[in-house]
Amino acid sequence: MDIQLLFFAAVKDHFPDLKKIEVSEGDSILNLRKILTHTNPGSESILKVSRFAVNQSIVNDDFVLREGSVVAVLPPSSGG
Amino acid sequence: MSVLETYSYISSSPIFVSSDVPDIPEMGGFVLFSGIVRNLNEGKKVTHLEYEAYAPMADEMIAGILSDARKKWDLLHANCIHRVGKLEISEIAVIVETGSMHRAEAYESNRYIIDRVKHEVPIWKKEFYIDGSSQWSKGCVHESH
Repeated sequence: MDIQLLFFAAVKDHFPDLKKIEVSEGDSILNLRKILTHTNPGSESILKVSRFAVNQSIVNDDFVLREGSVVAVLPPSSGG
Repeated sequence: MSVLETYSYISSSPIFVSSDVPDIPEMGGFVLFSGIVRNLNEGKKVTHLEYEAYAPMADEMIAGILSDARKKWDLLHANCIHRVGKLEISEIAVIVETGSMHRAEAYESNRYIIDRVKHEVPIWKKEFYIDGSSQWSKGCVHESH
């Protein structure tokens, strides 16, 4: 199944063209983290410290993805 | 970027502070904090910044933080606006306004709001340096800035 991806700030630099990705039924955020790291090993350190949001709510690693989930990868923020 | 104009707390337009305060008769204390783009960070000369936000989520989270502040303190006024896009040195990046009957609540709640906005809200800063290089900020590591 496909999920939508949104990348921001430093994470965006690692995945400039990736807008969606295929994951398996039952895959969690933890699985997605691994898939993304495998896709681009250079992103590992920033992914480790990034939060994930699904449909605009922050979720934990055990959150299970669904078809069409909009997943935002949020590196540490620094507003102000 | 014009779509950003529809958000209450995220703005792509310059922020200006005014000497006028909200017209609330019961209000005896009003605190205004401005976060300003400075020309130096970690010893490097900064020429300008760019702020990026996950705007719909950032807008909702700031609304939630303001609501939490209103629950914790007896506030008559609370607002926060954060800029996105390109900002020059000395431009205002963020403002937090709080007003209450007495100054203590206004000061305390203002600090609470800006600290949570800086740590939690999905807004990122890219610094551009005088040598032509640029870098995304690593996040908030200095509690007092």
